Amino acid sequence: MDEDERARLAEFVGSRTPALMRVAYLLTGDRNAAEDLFQSALARTIPKWGTIRHADPEGYLRVVMYREQISWWRRLRRWRETPLNPADEPVGGDPSGGTDVRLAMRAALRHLPPAQRAVVVLRYYEDLPEARVAELLGCSVGTVRSRTHRAVKRLRDLLPDVDRLEVRR
Amino acid sequence: MTEPFEHLIRSTLTDLAEEAPIVHDQLSRAERRVRNRRRVTVTVGAVSTLAAILIATPLALAATGSDEPPPAVPSPAGPAAVPSPPVPTPSAPTTVPTVVPSPGGAPGDPSITPGPPGVPGRPTVSPTPSTPPGPPGVPGRPTASPSPSR
Repeated sequence: MDEDERARLAEFVGSRTPALMRVAYLLTGDRNAAEDLFQSALARTIPKWGTIRHADPEGYLRVVMYREQISWWRRLRRWRETPLNPADEPVGGDPSGGTDVRLAMRAALRHLPPAQRAVVVLRYYEDLPEARVAELLGCSVGTVRSRTHRAVKRLRDLLPDVDRLEVRR
Repeated sequence: MTEPFEHLIRSTLTDLAEEAPIVHDQLSRAERRVRNRRRVTVTVGAVSTLAAILIATPLALAATGSDEPPPAVPSPAGPAAVPSPPVPTPSAPTTVPTVVPSPGGAPGDPSITPGPPGVPGRPTVSPTPSTPPGPPGVPGRPTASPSPSR
């Protein structure tokens, strides 16, 4: 890679890192894991930079990140329990703006498996249609639907009091 | 019911995304990862090749150095098998004359007198290999074999 291409790569990384780190953080739910995921995806993108720099390097990097997050090898290497911060613990009723509900939802999101969490991020944060999500993750639309359904059901199971909390809001 | 719950998911994810860590100098770290990965790949490949050679070489030597005789190999100095030219067959059919002697006749009298050899167009009676050929122009005497049943 010559100096010109490396300068373009550095500019791309510098400009898109905050947005990509947000996605990585949502996918992993952990700061260190998010940084590791982003670096790993970037390390896979750098050797391909000469061929993708004219196309859609950010899209390529995002796809690598999504697939790396749900890959079996990475799951095997990262097999550990994510500790919950004290601030993420479910708390009692809080009438001030539903903060308790969001904290409870944040804690529940940490308990989703990587594949279901990736689908939730792509569907509800990136607002992508099911077909696009299936294309990014390399699976079928039916798989995306089933994963979304299971993820929402699990979130409901993890938040049994959400109805009561929402009524109180 | 699904609508407020999905809204809750969206708002939670948006809040969570704002807490993403701010990192710097990711490119140099990623390049270091690329170099390490390439080094690991090359090292693992070289070690695998070396291990395969170290395992396969003694096995190959043991297979070739056993006490059993080596498999037979055709010697290159031997004459090549050349198809022999076809043996010319006589134009006349070879028939062994079987002479059945009459009960009262002399055992040595042939009842069939063969024609002169070499006459074309007539069937010739070729002598048996055990009978020595006669002089040219004189046919050999056919051998009469008595039938054992009579």
